[in-house]
Amino acid sequence: MELNNYIPVLVQIGLALTLAVIIISASHLLGQRARTNKVKDSAYECGLPSDGKSGARFSIKFYLTAMLFILFDIEVVFLIPWVLVFRDFLQMGIPILMPVLFFIGLLTAGLVYEIKKGALDWDK
Amino acid sequence: MNPTVQTLLITLVILFTLLNFAGVLIWVERRVLALLQDRLGPNRAGPFGLFIIVADIIKIFTKEDWVPPFADRKLFILAPAIILFTVLLSFTVVPFAPGIVVLDLNVGLLFFLGLSSMGIYSTVLAGWASNSKYALIGGLRMSAQMFSYEVFMGLSLMGVVILAGSLNLTQIVEVQRGMWFIIPQFLGFLIFMIAGLAETHRMPFDLPEAESELVAGFHSEYSSMKFGMFFVGEYIGLTLISAMIVTLFFGGWLGPAWLPAPICFFLKTFAFILFFILLRAALPRPRYDQLLSWGWKYLLPLALINLIVTGAIVLMTGNPQPN
Amino acid sequence: MLKSGDQTSLSESPVLESLRGAFGEAILKIQSTCDGIPTVWIRPGQIKAVLKYLKHEAPQRFAMLYDLSAIDERTRQNRNDQPESDFTVFYQLLQVESVQHLRLKVPLEQSNLLLPSITDLWPAADWYEREVWDMFGIRFDGHPNLRRILMPPTWKGHPLRKDHPARATEMGPFSMPTDRHIEEEEALQFKPEEWGMERESDESEFMFLNIGPQHPGTHGVIRFVLQLDGEEIVDVVPDIGYHHRGAEKMGERQSWHTFIPYTDRIDYLSGVLNNLPYVMAVEKLAGIQVPQRAQVIRVMLCELFRISNHLVWYGTYAQDVGQLSPVFYMFTDREKLLGIIEAICGARMHPNWLRIGGVAADLPKGWDSLVREFVDYMPAKLREYDAMVMDNYLLKARTRDIGAYTTEEAIEWGITGPGLRATGMGWDLRKEKPYSGYEQFEFEVPIAHKGDCYDRAVVRVAEMRESLKIIRQCLDYMPTGPIKADHPLTTPQPKERTMQDIETLITHFLGVSWGPVIPEGEAMGCIEGSKGLNSYYVISEKSTIPYRVRIRTPSFTAMQFIPPISRGHMIPDLLAIIGATDFVLADVDR
Repeated sequence: MELNNYIPVLVQIGLALTLAVIIISASHLLGQRARTNKVKDSAYECGLPSDGKSGARFSIKFYLTAMLFILFDIEVVFLIPWVLVFRDFLQMGIPILMPVLFFIGLLTAGLVYEIKKGALDWDK
Repeated sequence: MNPTVQTLLITLVILFTLLNFAGVLIWVERRVLALLQDRLGPNRAGPFGLFIIVADIIKIFTKEDWVPPFADRKLFILAPAIILFTVLLSFTVVPFAPGIVVLDLNVGLLFFLGLSSMGIYSTVLAGWASNSKYALIGGLRMSAQMFSYEVFMGLSLMGVVILAGSLNLTQIVEVQRGMWFIIPQFLGFLIFMIAGLAETHRMPFDLPEAESELVAGFHSEYSSMKFGMFFVGEYIGLTLISAMIVTLFFGGWLGPAWLPAPICFFLKTFAFILFFILLRAALPRPRYDQLLSWGWKYLLPLALINLIVTGAIVLMTGNPQPN
Repeated sequence: MLKSGDQTSLSESPVLESLRGAFGEAILKIQSTCDGIPTVWIRPGQIKAVLKYLKHEAPQRFAMLYDLSAIDERTRQNRNDQPESDFTVFYQLLQVESVQHLRLKVPLEQSNLLLPSITDLWPAADWYEREVWDMFGIRFDGHPNLRRILMPPTWKGHPLRKDHPARATEMGPFSMPTDRHIEEEEALQFKPEEWGMERESDESEFMFLNIGPQHPGTHGVIRFVLQLDGEEIVDVVPDIGYHHRGAEKMGERQSWHTFIPYTDRIDYLSGVLNNLPYVMAVEKLAGIQVPQRAQVIRVMLCELFRISNHLVWYGTYAQDVGQLSPVFYMFTDREKLLGIIEAICGARMHPNWLRIGGVAADLPKGWDSLVREFVDYMPAKLREYDAMVMDNYLLKARTRDIGAYTTEEAIEWGITGPGLRATGMGWDLRKEKPYSGYEQFEFEVPIAHKGDCYDRAVVRVAEMRESLKIIRQCLDYMPTGPIKADHPLTTPQPKERTMQDIETLITHFLGVSWGPVIPEGEAMGCIEGSKGLNSYYVISEKSTIPYRVRIRTPSFTAMQFIPPISRGHMIPDLLAIIGATDFVLADVDR
């Protein structure tokens, strides 16, 4: 019974997938064909032969942001149940703002620390 | 009518409308940009140049469907499919009007946030699978940009959830009968809009493409309809963000009684689409480190403050239970 | 107007005095020129010591290496008593404050084409020496990377030598079979080792990325090879020459008159600003005084083209930082302006309008209302663009403190024009050493102080307003009188009486078919172009064609200066720097 509610999602998933497959195969079938050559089969780099591979090691700064993201996204996850039960707790007369203030305060301290450390200064 | 058949019909109609709308949007954007830039824009094919859409579709489908031999073939084909798939799926929970929604999910907002995170894989994988330097840089920029703006997007909506007491989008709209959330949640609206723009990587936040820097960024190596899917995905994504802004902050389908609900919803959404086109015409592009540091240094603290203040106000004004 | 300098007065100039005192035995000869620039022949062995002395020790110090090139003297007639030389390398120095030029010439024998490099004295000598090697095959000992700069790496021969073919028809049919194509492509592959670059540091691998020649952000065909650590630029190597069309070589086979249209195409955005230095140089050689009306017409067109150039720069600058719309508005205004140019000259981008001794024709009827309409219309538009572009927060964030340099660095690298004035030095040749009657006009020299991309933009925008002021003065005070000097060497030859007497007909016939014979000598015409000092140095051997035309362009130096100001910034900043530099690739490559 419960699961039945989700049938429309499945339908939508099915339709979206079918559509993607249809578009890709249609363009594959309808598309022209042309002979390949060395220049055509090289990666675009403004018309000149490229030097070195593109899968080289890349600056770590990107990964730093990624790690920060994980920290703060988890924060959002924790906040969602809190905002949902917010009103229920109000009715019960329980002070609900204090714990979350503490939680956010902690994270803000973390953010301030990161900024002070220069983890967000990419151009440093 | 059988409810399953009805759902199927609604789904099909929505899907069909969206795809056509994306096509029309391409024409709208070109004409509006031209208007803003003292140009004519496409005006030759058919009335007002409308047939340019058909011409474009024919052209793009008959282009060579080329997968670069140096690319990671599977991922390269998968990437454009993901973007189309996720944005179309996101529309499952958008309430166009009372009853006109594919699935009135009680965690609709979470569903939307989750799918928009999934959309990131499309651009990142495209950049990675292309195995080309411009594409790689574009993909990496996208990942950093989306990573960061995901956080603010989620946080900016928490105020709305406190006020509505629900994650269900239909309920969120219903709660706004008294007052649209744009007024109590103006800060949240601003943050959500900026984050939404960054997520759809539209100008001025088109850093992963950044024509004057990276040529075409993550889709440099794409051609034919695989490129077209990024394009269509971008326009449906733009529609999605506009629709979400309307749903969350501008009272969704709510409007004057004489105006049918779906039309009201459409007009509001279209106004935001036009606004985004205007932004594209007006603003320069920030540097990506500026974009990121503004996000982390201003938007994140602001979103947190917004959340706390909203909580405090609800606390102080007693308990206006919305429903 | 400069007078032909004679030798006695030159030798009394304080520079020569001190040079003679310090390096008496190094001086071979002091040559007289028509442009009054002291020209000293120095022995090859001592040139570096002399240059070092002039830069660091002399009582009057020459801080800027203005130009460096060479002359193939082997087929030259009428050298008078200049020292024996197969190839002559000349160094032109500029003392910026007093606007004093000094030309040093070094004779070289064909058997020993070698000079010490002066890249350690002036970093700006780097590209100039490469160009001399490329064009003449003269080597510079101690140069860090003496390779071809304008010609393709596979080129055989040195084009500006007199024995190198000047036309394609002298070279045999051209073909590009596949294997040759691949060979040429591979020759263009960038090899970091050749430039002394590391492929990796202790922390990361560097990525080498070609920006250009097919790139939407480079304003034409040029390649920047970036050495990247992440998105941070470790180093940049500009690779120029894709737009090289051999303008200097063409000058050696065009008549004095027919070379004028070629100058239009050097800095193709600035039209008559290219004609002017060339005709000024020729007029100095011929001793022609240009009448007032012609001078004011020249000034007016120059300023119109300065605005036209700056409008293109303005739009593309905004576009380079990602603002899509301004370029359309600015091109629309430029269209209006080009309409006026068309009404006057008959052509839009390539006016080919100045003539030796004057201008091609008088102003058309109704020109004043066209120009007045424009100068009334433009100021409001400029205010609008200020609000749209210059006051934009994002644009400021993108261009402030990016690519900044000081006045000293600018002079060291030979930067002039707006690029120099943005560093706080109000130095404009139109004020410092007026030509073509600029001393009669009232205008300010706008400056800015930080020398970054934004300040360069501020200076250019302000310059447009000053140009409008000058144009308005031209409009209000346009003198009457002839538009061409009454002189036998002006071109085209006067035609009025050709049908009445045979002598005039013959003169006209010879003048039109062969062109005038310009007296022998050397002269440089130098003006404040839209991008900086633009000069033509012409040598005549008493013939109908120039013996050598040296074109010194501001874009070349500006381009060479891009790597030092880009290091440590990021890819988007490089595009902002390119946008704020205002170069034209034909002006870089000539």
